[in-house]
Amino acid sequence: MAVSISRRKISEAINGYLFVSPWLIIFTIFSIVSLLYAVYLSFTSYNLLKPPQWWGLDGYRRVFDDDLFLTKALPNTFKYVIIVVPLQTILSLVLAFAMDQKLRFRRLFRTVFYLPSVTSSVVISLIFIWIFAPQGIFNQITRLSINWLDDPRTAFYVIMGMNIFTTSGTLMLIFLAGLQDISPSIYEAAQIDGANAVQTFFYITIPMLRPVIFFVVTVGVIGCFQVFDQIFVMTAGGPLDSTTTITYLIYKWAFRDTTIKMGQASALAVVLTLIILAVTVLQRRMIEGSGSMAER
Amino acid sequence: MTVSSLSRSGVNQSAILLDRIRKGIFYAILIFWTVLSVAPLYFTLVFSLKPIADAYTPPIWWPTPFTLANYETILKTFDLFPRWVINSVNISIIVTLFRVLFCAMAGYAFARIEFPLKKLLFNLLLISMMMPGVVTLIPSFLIIGPGLIRGGISLGSLTIPTGFNLIDTPWGVILPGVADAFGVFMMTQFYKSFPKELEEAAMMDGSGRWGTFFRIVLPISQTQLLTLALLTFQGAWNNFMWPLLVLRSPENFTLPIGLQWFRGEYYTLYSVVLAGSLFNTLPILIIFFVFQRYFIRSIASTGSKEG
Amino acid sequence: MKSLFKLMSVLLAVTMLLTACGTPATPEKVVETIKETVTVKETQIVEVPAQQTVVRLSGWASSPSETALLQSLLYQFSVENPDILVKYEPITGDYKQALLTSIASGTEPDIYYVDIFWWLELATNDVLLPLDDLMSASGVKREDFIPSLVDAFTYNDKLYGIAKDFNTLGMFYNKDLFDKAGLDYPTDDWTWDDLKAAAAQLTDTSDANKPVYGFCTPPDPGRFPAFVFQNGGSVMTDDFSDTTLDSDAAIGAAEFYTSFRAEGSGALPSDLGEGWQGTLFGKGQCAMVYEGGWLIPYLRDQFPGTKYGVVMPPAGPAGEGNLIFTVAWGISANTKNPDAAWRVVNFLTSEASQKTVLESGFALPSRQSLQDSDYLKNNANSAAIFNGSFNGAHPFFWGSVGSDVNDQMGKALERIFKENQPVADAMKQAAEAVRSAMK
Repeated sequence: MAVSISRRKISEAINGYLFVSPWLIIFTIFSIVSLLYAVYLSFTSYNLLKPPQWWGLDGYRRVFDDDLFLTKALPNTFKYVIIVVPLQTILSLVLAFAMDQKLRFRRLFRTVFYLPSVTSSVVISLIFIWIFAPQGIFNQITRLSINWLDDPRTAFYVIMGMNIFTTSGTLMLIFLAGLQDISPSIYEAAQIDGANAVQTFFYITIPMLRPVIFFVVTVGVIGCFQVFDQIFVMTAGGPLDSTTTITYLIYKWAFRDTTIKMGQASALAVVLTLIILAVTVLQRRMIEGSGSMAER
Repeated sequence: MTVSSLSRSGVNQSAILLDRIRKGIFYAILIFWTVLSVAPLYFTLVFSLKPIADAYTPPIWWPTPFTLANYETILKTFDLFPRWVINSVNISIIVTLFRVLFCAMAGYAFARIEFPLKKLLFNLLLISMMMPGVVTLIPSFLIIGPGLIRGGISLGSLTIPTGFNLIDTPWGVILPGVADAFGVFMMTQFYKSFPKELEEAAMMDGSGRWGTFFRIVLPISQTQLLTLALLTFQGAWNNFMWPLLVLRSPENFTLPIGLQWFRGEYYTLYSVVLAGSLFNTLPILIIFFVFQRYFIRSIASTGSKEG
Repeated sequence: MKSLFKLMSVLLAVTMLLTACGTPATPEKVVETIKETVTVKETQIVEVPAQQTVVRLSGWASSPSETALLQSLLYQFSVENPDILVKYEPITGDYKQALLTSIASGTEPDIYYVDIFWWLELATNDVLLPLDDLMSASGVKREDFIPSLVDAFTYNDKLYGIAKDFNTLGMFYNKDLFDKAGLDYPTDDWTWDDLKAAAAQLTDTSDANKPVYGFCTPPDPGRFPAFVFQNGGSVMTDDFSDTTLDSDAAIGAAEFYTSFRAEGSGALPSDLGEGWQGTLFGKGQCAMVYEGGWLIPYLRDQFPGTKYGVVMPPAGPAGEGNLIFTVAWGISANTKNPDAAWRVVNFLTSEASQKTVLESGFALPSRQSLQDSDYLKNNANSAAIFNGSFNGAHPFFWGSVGSDVNDQMGKALERIFKENQPVADAMKQAAEAVRSAMK
């Protein structure tokens, strides 16, 4: 008996690895090796032109000595995550839920909602620069005359708004796919039991969606902590550093500055990874109670 | 939080009224968001049909004066344009096919099969998503190109290369693209919320893991697979940074890289850029429309899968 | 128009040459000669030696028409030098990032654009090949090129790049607005006082929807330093070991530069709802702007009706001062074919090629001899920008912390303009920030 169980366990393990292996091999070669190499670079001084030189924790020391990081990039990044993640998650969940009702024109709505997401972040950023230009459409419609992207008070919010706008379509699709997993018989049972729509949403839909919500929030947190394309194209961190985020600072050190600081940039990247990791673990605890990330 | 704990109440007239109000609210939400979603692309379309000098000039609702010159500029300036479209299509399709299959397999294993080091691998997957791409660019490029250790590792007379030497080939873009952490994460979460009954029945019938996966799991997870396929295709199609580094010859470019030509150093000709971005967007929209039908069908199949 | 078409057909042909596929169907004369070349290449009967040396060449793609210009030159080269095959590898995105990535992996092209702003970093790390030996071997002298452009790419007495073209700042002025104000057009002999007086007289804010300002002063590190030089100051010390942004001359220049807006005769582009003053100049809302030659094709395309002239920037208390923006052809120190690469660079910077560049109207050539060319005689606007390089022009280069210096100059001006910070404080703050970046 014990022998057959362990034999089944072994065959399951082999199956598991066979299922994972096509992905795992390529993933290891590219992602894991690159990740480890970046960690190695964080302990070096590297200008891309000469081979990396070991300098221990100097890169990390410089990161935590850097004014731009401490006073701008760090607070800006947290501000961005705290504002954007909840808004885009709630918005896309509401949209997906509305879409999942047996309403007419569902197909049309779904297509239309996906529109903002289909264009690349670079292209949509260009379109938004044009829309929010001083002479642009937005000012023309609202009859305002604000230079949205050149004003330290507004630029960051325009970028946030754009990100919520463009990601909600994608997240809605993911929620929608998750909603369709919930068996209609559960809803029917709830209806027979006399649950109203609000109760059904909070007591059935949300709990059933937990894995998907965890996915959307995690991907959202990771994506927002790493916001880069939009800032790179729209403001390049300005005006007066009001849109400088950690990832933009990493890019600035790694490629834009006259003297390249790839080692220091990698150190900041490791710091950012640790920040995201901590936030993800915390957020997982909030969504699903305690336990390690892999469990659910 | 079970269903039985909810209070019971009969279905009556007020419930129907409530249902109407509820639907009204949903329609209002949907229509409001529809207007917002359409606006940027609508304006993009309008102004791409106006002359370059009118990039900010009203009227904003209708393309007057009307011109097709911007589209002509794009089609005529580069005779490589059709090549770029073909390259983009090829790369995106191959990446999508492989990635969806690999991610579904791996996601299924993470969700359902017990194997050693599973948690560690899954955590590594998540961590790899957290490392910003700006710093992994160089090592990834070394791996796809000349190798992390230049000249390879020598073992006596044998030299093992540490890189793939795929620079300036489509495979240099495709290969790293087929294994994606995001997709595996997504499929894992989907399969976790999947009902287990059907699979268990199939396993009882004696089909092994593989038979169950290909005959039962893949077909019933159609919606999720299509969602991943769509997101993958869209991501591959719009991918910019990586192909920019890997592809060198103009004839190997993908569409977004070629279209970038129209962004000047000192000023941008917006009307042309807008027209170009529509060119870039169109294929994904078409694919999405084609996908639509399957989405509807798979809703039906989800309904019947409980049997 | 006709020349553009010719250029395009050449481009078409070159692409076919490079990809070696397809047959051109157009019965255009230019294309036909090229068709022969394609046949030659495909069948390898004549001229083309069995072994061609492949040289890879990279640059950013600034606009389709400039790309076409470069490709037509490369085509010309391939006709004259069948033993060398030039592979053109344009970078349409972030050029510096793509180039650095390829250098880091040892896969960089043999020849590539090096920007004045960051070239020294490449030279000091031995990534670029010194060109002096190759030059003297083929009889090219430093004196053939504009001196300030040679200085710009010289390090330790070695030349690391040959300028492919350049720009200086010219003062663009709107003739209609000058006529309206009853003023004489500016000349190359103008001084700061003339500029100040004219700016005040040209300003007309009576139409609230379309106010006109005499002189636009963007908080742009690509404009402001010209005033520092005109005031006898500098941005950095000669050896770039320290900044001089807090010197009296620099502070005085900042006071002058920001005084236009303070006195109501100047404006920032953002005050007038634009991102770039070039657009405002085209619209007639900035009567005078400091811009480079890139404004000329922009005005031609976007505001063809604008009547304008260009003169050299007015002299300050210490005389002429200007900035040089330039990009050079550099050769990789890694190249396996330095001689072939040099032949390509030499061709692209030869007098004949430079003349083509000049006549295309996109850029100004680096050859000194072209100062007397017919084109510059007939195009006073381009000539003003060309001649700027001989009058107090300094390269747009601030050493190893250049990007920080630029950031800080821009921010100091923004603080003065938008937050009313006292000029001296702003400049001192900028200098301190630059010094801390040097650590």
